[in-house]
Amino acid sequence: MSVPRRSLVPAVLLAVALVAPLFLDARGYPIRVLTFALLFAAMGQAWNIVGGLAAQMSLGHAGFFGIGAYTSTLLLVRTGVSPWVGMIAGAALAALAAVLLSIPTLKLKGHYFALATLAFGEVMRVVAGAWEHFTGGPQGISVPFSPDSLAAFQFKATRPYYYVMLAALVLVSLAFLAVSRGKLGYRLRAIRANQDAAEVVGIGTFRAKLAASVISASLTAALGTCYAQLNYFFDPETVFGLAPISIRVALIAIVGGTGTLWGPFVGAAFLIPAEELTNHYLGAAVAGISQLAYGLLLIVVILIEPRGLVALRIPRLGRRKVEVAP
Amino acid sequence: MALLQALVDGLLIGGVYAVISLGLTLVFGVMGIVNFAHAQFVMIGMYVAWFAWATLGLDPLLASPLAFAAAFVLAAAIERLMIRRVMRAPPVAQVFLTVGLLIALENVALIVFGSDFRSVRTTYQTAALRLGPLFLSVPYLAAFALSAASAAALWLFLQRTWYGRAMRATAQDRMAAALFGIDPERMYQLAFALGAGLTAFGGAVILPYITVSPSVGGQFVVLMFTVVVLGGLGDVGGALVGGLVAGVIQSVSTVFFPIQLQNLVLFVVFVAVLAFRPQGLLRGVA
Amino acid sequence: MTDLLAVDHVSRRFGGLSAVRDVSFGIPRGQLVGLVGPNGAGKTTLFNVLVGLYAPSAGVVRLEGRTVSRLPPHRVCALGLTKTFQNVALFFDMTVRDNVLVGGLMRHSLRDARDLASHTLERVGLASVADKLAADLTFPERARVELARALCTEPKVLLLDEVMAALTHVEMDEILALIRQLREDGLTVLVVEHHMRAIMSLCERILVLNFGELIADGTPSEIVHDERVITAYLGRGHGSASARHA
Repeated sequence: MSVPRRSLVPAVLLAVALVAPLFLDARGYPIRVLTFALLFAAMGQAWNIVGGLAAQMSLGHAGFFGIGAYTSTLLLVRTGVSPWVGMIAGAALAALAAVLLSIPTLKLKGHYFALATLAFGEVMRVVAGAWEHFTGGPQGISVPFSPDSLAAFQFKATRPYYYVMLAALVLVSLAFLAVSRGKLGYRLRAIRANQDAAEVVGIGTFRAKLAASVISASLTAALGTCYAQLNYFFDPETVFGLAPISIRVALIAIVGGTGTLWGPFVGAAFLIPAEELTNHYLGAAVAGISQLAYGLLLIVVILIEPRGLVALRIPRLGRRKVEVAP
Repeated sequence: MALLQALVDGLLIGGVYAVISLGLTLVFGVMGIVNFAHAQFVMIGMYVAWFAWATLGLDPLLASPLAFAAAFVLAAAIERLMIRRVMRAPPVAQVFLTVGLLIALENVALIVFGSDFRSVRTTYQTAALRLGPLFLSVPYLAAFALSAASAAALWLFLQRTWYGRAMRATAQDRMAAALFGIDPERMYQLAFALGAGLTAFGGAVILPYITVSPSVGGQFVVLMFTVVVLGGLGDVGGALVGGLVAGVIQSVSTVFFPIQLQNLVLFVVFVAVLAFRPQGLLRGVA
Repeated sequence: MTDLLAVDHVSRRFGGLSAVRDVSFGIPRGQLVGLVGPNGAGKTTLFNVLVGLYAPSAGVVRLEGRTVSRLPPHRVCALGLTKTFQNVALFFDMTVRDNVLVGGLMRHSLRDARDLASHTLERVGLASVADKLAADLTFPERARVELARALCTEPKVLLLDEVMAALTHVEMDEILALIRQLREDGLTVLVVEHHMRAIMSLCERILVLNFGELIADGTPSEIVHDERVITAYLGRGHGSASARHA
């Protein structure tokens, strides 16, 4: 009955997203904001696999993001390997990092897991800063410029990047859907609801959470490569930072509703333009004011609805469809 | 020899880490809240002491009670306006509220004080006592002594006063405490304010050897959690030991690794402790 | 190795307290056995040890001769031993169908698990509420979801922990019929139940646990005449075996 409507909404959204850039300046500021919003929505979606479906509140996704950015860029700078290949290498490294991190931390709950993952992100930031002769250290690293080409993942205008990020968001969302509607999704939701009961009816809880963590980490690393190619320059703070990446990404999924397909879309559509606007209008006036606004926004959102964060996890009509649909 | 010197330095620095982290563990022990913003009270304490020095000419060590008082009042207000409202909310809400606070406080400082690094000049800044082959830095020693004094004061407060006992009772069993006429909400507020005050006090006493900037709190976030987790989250005695251990690890690791990696060693210890002994190193041993 | 499930000198201590103390028994294939005892006798703890949620402090649990007492619960379940939860541990934010389906994921594809879930819901009489959220069910319904979910793991031995709590007589008779049917189908069942009349009529053999120790093992008629059982368990103000112990 609602089948036509269900596929209609995404189709219309996608059509709008495809056509919109044609009406915007290909090198302008608005399209750049939209491109970043798409990238961050995709990151929120990747986080959602671990943070939403498995309810493991990671505050260390910057660790994976930075691995992706640094791996592809260092490969490009030092060996001339295409960023697309570097993206795969970064995703593989992040998957390995996720396995190593998961072995000691997956059994931790709530605050402890958040603390451990936070420490992981910070470790990566410190290493990237300290390993100067390899990573370029705190001064950061630039992506060498090469002519406009999809093969080199480099474009002069923002518009092609917009389409790449849109494709990335669609792909990550499809990955989220595949996990959510597949066996793994059922297992993760069962674990989230009651881990002991899930174990007793045959779910290997460690393996399921590990799988979610590896998928999420490698997608996040691939997006890190996208970020490096889009921004041309980054330093340890911008890709491994706690506030700029780890918290922002988690927040995007949480504000929009964790564990839901549309949550990261809503979160990114709301947060990224809001940040950009405060940066644009206030940032030049006083340093720190946009970050302050961001912190206050976070506080206000939670004070208005402290239970809202979990209320969002209680299935409503839209969510149930996602879960039940074959 | 370098190792022994690093050990001594580590213990002296670690004493301050202990006091800074006492506040965090007190808040968790009594309220069950992990306050990610807590490190900002180090920064607040440092600024209070810096302004006391710049305007009144007061030595940071003497200004440390002022830092305590300022953070105490500010934290009491924060508890009343924000923390209290998420006490029963799920951890995710608590984490993000305090993370929001972490970001907001840092940037308020950035807007108000600017991004300059500020330091004080004292007569004893570069002084050192000679003890055989070892040097004892005077500012380290002074900070350590004041930290030890404040830890002792906290201990007396918790053991000997009605408020201290009431706070411990609330930490153990909120319902039972309420039956004895203790208002748990008041105790939470007191614990939060006291914890912030102690941490700000620690910030003030390190000002003679660490410069202050709006982002200085960030250097302490993971350090404080490491100390607290080493000692067992919520364990006040454990935080003292954890602080000393963390100071020694950090200091001794610089003997073997480049200085940029001193925090890395600490992080690795942190993750390892979280993973293998989340109840703390001491729990179940003593 | 004639017994399907063998419990060999199993103990479980918490700190200084023994919740289960040196318990041994064996259950042959196809038997329907009751496990009774006063509150706090250690019945649920014993179940948790059997399915692997707790490691035994001493002793061994074997399923078809294979030691399972050091395996994680999902491995024990894969070998054919699972339980229902006394305090009802459903996945409350999922639908009834999805709750039950989760039990089938271990051995089947998602599609087959869904078919199995529908079939099992039919069998336990929950087909009409299949698309409700587990949280929206009544207590008796929730106990049946527990049962259906456990059945979907296709166990060889099923441990039922008080699935008849708070049921009306009619509902109880339905569950009793269902359990008998399971036995007919070849399943080996161990039932914890407070309702004595129900368990006496249902089971061919009864184990009695008191303060963590196994004090009797026999047919219902042997049990009601056992001196130790009468003093330890029934002697607490209840004169007859048909008295209901809450």
